[in-house]
Amino acid sequence: MNRKFKLMFTLFVLLFLVGCSEKEVKVPLEEVGMVGIMAFDYIDEDTTKLTVAIPQYSPEAKRNTQIFSVKTDLVSKGIVKIEKLSDKKVILNQLRVVLINEEYARKGRVEKVIQNLYRDSEVGNKVLIAVVNGNGEELLKGQYLDKPNINFYLNDLLLPSINTAFNPNTNIHDFIYTVTNPVFDPILPIIEKIDDKIEIKGVALFKNKHMIESITPSEALIIQALQGKKKLAPLPLDLNKGNGKEIVMLDLIESKVKIKSNKNHKSPKLNIVLNIKGTLSEYQGKREHELNTPKSIAILEDDINKQLRKDIEEFLKKLKGLKIDPIGLSENFRMYYKGKWNDKLTDATIAKLKVDVHVKTSIISTGTLK
Amino acid sequence: MSTNKQKFLNRYHVIFLVQSAMVGTGILTLPQKLSSVGYSQTLFPILFGVIASLTLLPMIWMNSKYPNENLFRINEILLGKWLGKGVNLFIVLQFLVFSSGIISSYMHLIQSTALPEQTITAPAFFFILLLVYIVRGGIRSVARFCIMTFFITIPMLYFLLWAIEKGEMSHFLPFFNYNGKEFYDAMKKGYLSILGYELIMFYFPNIIDQKKAYKHALIGIWISIVLCLITTAVSVMYFSEWQLKYVEFSVLNLFKAGEFSFIERIDIIGMTLWVFLILSTVTAYLWCAKRGMDSLLSKERKNYIYILALIVFLIIKMPFSQEFQEKLFSASSYVGYVILVWPIFLAIVHLLRKKQVQT
Repeated sequence: MNRKFKLMFTLFVLLFLVGCSEKEVKVPLEEVGMVGIMAFDYIDEDTTKLTVAIPQYSPEAKRNTQIFSVKTDLVSKGIVKIEKLSDKKVILNQLRVVLINEEYARKGRVEKVIQNLYRDSEVGNKVLIAVVNGNGEELLKGQYLDKPNINFYLNDLLLPSINTAFNPNTNIHDFIYTVTNPVFDPILPIIEKIDDKIEIKGVALFKNKHMIESITPSEALIIQALQGKKKLAPLPLDLNKGNGKEIVMLDLIESKVKIKSNKNHKSPKLNIVLNIKGTLSEYQGKREHELNTPKSIAILEDDINKQLRKDIEEFLKKLKGLKIDPIGLSENFRMYYKGKWNDKLTDATIAKLKVDVHVKTSIISTGTLK
Repeated sequence: MSTNKQKFLNRYHVIFLVQSAMVGTGILTLPQKLSSVGYSQTLFPILFGVIASLTLLPMIWMNSKYPNENLFRINEILLGKWLGKGVNLFIVLQFLVFSSGIISSYMHLIQSTALPEQTITAPAFFFILLLVYIVRGGIRSVARFCIMTFFITIPMLYFLLWAIEKGEMSHFLPFFNYNGKEFYDAMKKGYLSILGYELIMFYFPNIIDQKKAYKHALIGIWISIVLCLITTAVSVMYFSEWQLKYVEFSVLNLFKAGEFSFIERIDIIGMTLWVFLILSTVTAYLWCAKRGMDSLLSKERKNYIYILALIVFLIIKMPFSQEFQEKLFSASSYVGYVILVWPIFLAIVHLLRKKQVQT
């Protein structure tokens, strides 16, 4: 009886205690604006133009994306400003793409901005980063009539796709990893708006937290090959072998790279062996009708080897001229170096680096036609 | 109390009690704690394992001299009633603060990542409720919970797959690339992560096969060491040295590398599953603290656990500054080292007193 009374009394008191609880404000899902894309445009050293794209799910709205643009000096301050403009609570949990315009990449504080997002626990590490040729705000505000929502379009465009189209995607982790690792210099894809399409134009090379140069996709392919990527995008090659104009397209490439260093960072020397296996998908040139015997294919393979070797050597020379190491070649010397490796050592190593390149191509098939 | 009733921990209980008590929040931050040696941290867990195996020896030896007594009783026997009780009180307090430290760091992690809009009061309260429930079942239920925890959480290793795919093996080289100061720093901060096996001194009298206890505990220790080794190795492969130093919860960031087509943020799953690991560690400590209360007040009562749980809750919710809390928790961690050496001291006392008795 006594226990029952106690129990009843407690329940009774608890019932009224509900009134003391503070009303918890929780934002329902419909009132949350999930930012999909952030774009940074350079204004001057201190201020940036921050543009965000938020998917609009209301059927009454005429457009499927909300775009807000503000001028700000801090990223989070910008978000607060955007919240004032928006009818929803702005959160970053669904952030997929960060765009940086070229001027910002060359002069701005890219590293600080990305680091800020890296620290934010709401933001995943798989947010893709790209450099915009031109203006990020314009790119977001563009009309892409045959495409879905810009949020999905851009994300799918930049995502590492299984098909072999060239794609040097870089996410937040990759960027932070390469920017903080002394043996690497970061690379980012460059995109550009052309009429009602967005195109991956090339790759931006960074040095000391700033973009310094842009290169073409075929050069970027060399970076990927030398970094040991196993599947490569289709590789077009221009053979200048005295037979007039010859163009070769290699597809479905499997590549393997072996890099051997002499373990001496004072007189660095690398021996690079690149093995490439692929299908000859297209050929244009004088030998078109001869390419049906194993012998002629072997000759073509040899020509490809020479051409690729030349390309790689030229590209490495270019990197040497720029004093950057996006491939991470100096890692081969860091591995054998006692003590703390730093940027200066990387610079010195790259400046003195001698490379010996060997390429072995094997064409597996040329299609089913004789 | 008859001896038969007291002995009920079989070898699996011992293995997983040792193993689970070691893996808690420590392993989450282990790569960061060891970051002063940079990429060379890979092999540190093995060194820790060797040290743990060596420090386990005096513990087991001391306990085997008093097969039916736990460390609290041994303290009283060897140091006299009052000194022993003083030391015991200190140990109990240490365990309480230590457990609070573990819970509080986990709650802060939860708050900063999973529940940013809530205070930690309610999660902490329910956590402690569960804690009390498990500890009330005695050491056997703690042990069973540890076994369950191990098998629930071990599949998380699969989440490391993506990080391994992306990682660079070359980071392992060169080996032993550090100087004495860096080594000392890494030792001091990193060894905390594998504390927990010393609790065997408290449940030793409950072990059935005490002669093989050392072997079983060793198995437990080395399971944990292998887990630590995997953690540091994968972190070294995946991160740059800067990231190792500044990313606090490296393991969660490793989970972030992965992605299923139906789950985007694996780290959130990993972090919430981690509650099992935290529970298994804290239950073991709290059970020991409860035994300490029993011996301090010289009688056994189940209700003590409520008092202890309340103290833990108050420590977590204490209105002191973050800085003070941090200092308190890190101080209690370092006191944990003292408990490792304590049995050696006791062994010396034991030998001295034996001589006194003989002469």
